[in-house]
Parts: sequence; C-alpha cells; structure tokens
Amino acid sequence: MAQTTGNTFRKVNTVLHRDLGYFFAALILAYSLSGIALNHVDEWNPDFIISKDEIKLEGLYTKNDITPEVVRDISEKVGETGYRLFDFPSSRQVKIYYKNATLMIDLEKGEGLYEKISRRPVFYQVNVLHRNSVNWWKWASDIFAGMLIIITITGLLMLRGPNGFSGRGKWFFGAGFIPPVIALIFQQL
Amino acid sequence: MLRLTTDYTRNLFLILILMLAGCTGQQEEPASMEQNDDRKIGVLLISHGSHSETWRNTLFDLEKKVRERILKNEKTDGIKSAFMEYTEPSIATRLKEFDNEGYTDVVIIPILLTVSSHSFDDIPTIIGQKENPESVEMLKLEKIERYTPKATPHITPLLDFSEILRKNVLRRAKNLSKNPEDEGLVIIAYGSEPYEKEWRDLFDKAAQHVQSETGIDTYSIGWCGHIVRYSPDSTAAAVKRVLDRKKRALVIPSLVAFDENFQIKIIGGGIEKVDDHETRVVYKPDAILPDSNIEQWIVDISDEFATTIR
Repeated sequence: MAQTTGNTFRKVNTVLHRDLGYFFAALILAYSLSGIALNHVDEWNPDFIISKDEIKLEGLYTKNDITPEVVRDISEKVGETGYRLFDFPSSRQVKIYYKNATLMIDLEKGEGLYEKISRRPVFYQVNVLHRNSVNWWKWASDIFAGMLIIITITGLLMLRGPNGFSGRGKWFFGAGFIPPVIALIFQQL
Repeated sequence: MLRLTTDYTRNLFLILILMLAGCTGQQEEPASMEQNDDRKIGVLLISHGSHSETWRNTLFDLEKKVRERILKNEKTDGIKSAFMEYTEPSIATRLKEFDNEGYTDVVIIPILLTVSSHSFDDIPTIIGQKENPESVEMLKLEKIERYTPKATPHITPLLDFSEILRKNVLRRAKNLSKNPEDEGLVIIAYGSEPYEKEWRDLFDKAAQHVQSETGIDTYSIGWCGHIVRYSPDSTAAAVKRVLDRKKRALVIPSLVAFDENFQIKIIGGGIEKVDDHETRVVYKPDAILPDSNIEQWIVDISDEFATTIR
C-alpha cells in the first residue's frame, strides 16, 4: 500500500515537473534573457536602439534666428523633410522633434545631435514582460513565480537513490547557497 | 462670487446671457463677461515621484501649506498634487479629476529645479503638448499614462528662474558652517545628461552666492541621479576635491525632498568612501523642502498665471 502511494506520488511529481517545464520553458527563457539584459542596464539600453549622429552647422545661430524656415533647412541635413515641433530647452539650445527622432542643436557651438529611436527586437518584448509593463501581467508573473517554485521542488524530489536528493543531490543543493552567501557577506563588509 | 459647479447650470447661464444680449443688442460685452466668469482655474503641483513615503509626504505637506493662501485670492478654484512616476496620484489621474470637476484651465507648477528631460519633454508629452519619441516609448514602458486634458494646461517656469535655490543653499550652508576659512562646499544634485551645463550653471551661481555671503570660497558639484547611474562615486569624488584644498567639507544635498535611497544610500554611501569622513565631512541628509520661499513662490506664480488667464 505504502509502495503504491509512493509510486503515485513519484508519478505525479514527474508529470508535474515535466509538463510545467514544457509549459513555462518559453517564459523561463524570456525572463532569463531579459534578466541578463537588465543586469547590464548601465552599460547599454536594453529596450531601445538609439542611433546618434553628430552634425556640424555651416554657421552659428542665436535663438532669435531660429524660424520655421531655418528649422526646415537644418532638418534636411539629417534627412528629415518635415518636423513636428521645435522648442528651446535653454537660450543656447533648440530641440526639433520628428516622428521617431529628435535633433538637439547647440546654437553656441553650431553642432547638433540627431537621435533616432527604435525598439530593440526581442529584448524590448521580453523586458516588457519582465518589468510588468502590461498592467495585468503582474498576476501572470506571480503565477509563473509560483510555478517555478513547484518546478524546482518537483525537480529536487524526482530521483531516488545515489543520484537523488538524499544522495549527491543534497551536496549540490547546499553548494548552491555558497555564491549568494558570499555576495551577502561582501555586501556587509 | 457666483460659482458654476455643473455643466448643466453653466449652460443655462450661458443661454440666459445670450438671450439678454439678444434683447439689448450688446452682444460683445456680456459674452466677454461670461467668458471671464466661466473660467474655473486649478493648480496642479507636479513633482518627480518616489518610492519613498517620506518624499511623497513632503510634497503633500507642501500642497497643504500653500492651499489656503492660493485659494484665498479667489482666482484659483482648486489645488492638487501629482507625481510624474512611481505612484499615484499620477498627472493623468489629476487632470481627469480637473476635467470631471469642470475646470477650464490648469496651472501646472513643476516642482523641479531646472531644465531636464522630465520638465522639457516628459511632462509636456504626458499632457499631450508634445510627442517626444523617446518620452512616448519610455512612458509606455513605465506604464505612465498620457492624457490630454479638456482644460487648457499652462506650464509655469521652473524654480531656477528665481533666487530661491541660492537662498536655500546659503541657509543650509550657514547652518553647517563653523569656520568658513577652513571649509569648502559640496553640492550634490540629481543632474541631467543633456542639460549638464544648465545644472552646473545653476549650482555654480548658488555656490558663488554662498561664497559672497559667507567667505566659503571653495566648492565642488557632484551628481547622484541617472547621469551617474545612481552611483555614490560622484559624491565621493566631489567631497575629495574639496578636501584636497580645505580641512572640512560641508555637503548639501540639493534635492527637492528627502528620499532614503538618495540622501542615505547614494550620498551617504559616497561620503563613507572618503577617508576621515567622520571628522572632515559635515553632512545633514536634509532637502530643499521645507522652504517658506518656495511656498511663497508657488503662491505668487499661481496668482500671476490665474490673473493672466482671467
């Protein structure tokens, strides 16, 4: 009887681990990829590709010189045929807005910085999920986190014998605590 | 003063005025009077927003302190506060409330020090005045709702157009100072990548004001915001620059309100990286607010804009 109960538990455990693993594989990969991307948020922009081009104007302008005609002329230098708006963040700067780009002109230096923004393929999408940028997604994310716990526990209990948790598994399990504990010790120093 | 609270009442009033105008043949004058009386002006104090409850409460306190004085002049009918990011009430939430309450104009007062992407691009993009491509994308990612109000928004100048900051830094430096000859000033502010020159100019002027009033003749400026990726290193470097020349450094956090992450973790963390900081660095983790001059500036600018609108 006890043997049968044990076998049933093992079977359910294995099925849970296998099928939850299949179901959440895409999300695990997405979150892992996004995790790496967001870890390095200080070194790159994981969401957008912002291409930057510097331009040199032929002459110097003052704020009063900036008219729609001048803005159109300057815009042509960066390949823009029309603009949406221009505005002055300070007396030395004018910013011109286009559909997917902006051009910031430093009037004192006669230089401009043209920035064009586009979404970084794949990374933008996985980051949207990882950061819960869709309102209701946090609930899906909570369920996903709960399922990851189940996948982990069922994984720990799946095998018996020398390769199971009670065998070599417990040593690997314990070793897994070492890196975070070291990090926490360093943080306290 | 007759205050019209519903669209229905207002429409009735409008019809009555037009009928009277039709009877007397004086169409322009009553119409003009009606337009002025029909204005309902609100004031919206907008600040950056923070996860820190202390930070948010400071901004709510600011609203409480100016509320009575602003409403007393009867040109303004209501005042609310909003946060640009992180927490409610958001700008969109407040603008919707103003619309639902029948406001015709909203005077938007950004409680921000000087020009930055937030003041120049993000806020105008949120309220539908601009479509800065980067702001549009970032707001979407950060789940910050954009809302174009039915009421006409009027954005006021920022705090840097007045002498408030100079006076604020001077007052706080004086409170920390014991012997100006031996001391140097360290100003730590949020900063802005595209507008670093403007930020530096602002604090150069503040530091020079402190110098002329106290004799503290050495200063340095450090950043603690996105421009330095929230790293304490800029604070540490700014303090070291002063300590190379003076015995003691007075560190003034030039942030609108207190946020544990900035005043303690980033700025405090930067100071802790400096040798002998216990004896050579004087630091009070306070903020620009509360400041009676800022309160008065808000009252004055609200009054000025409401007068112009009416």
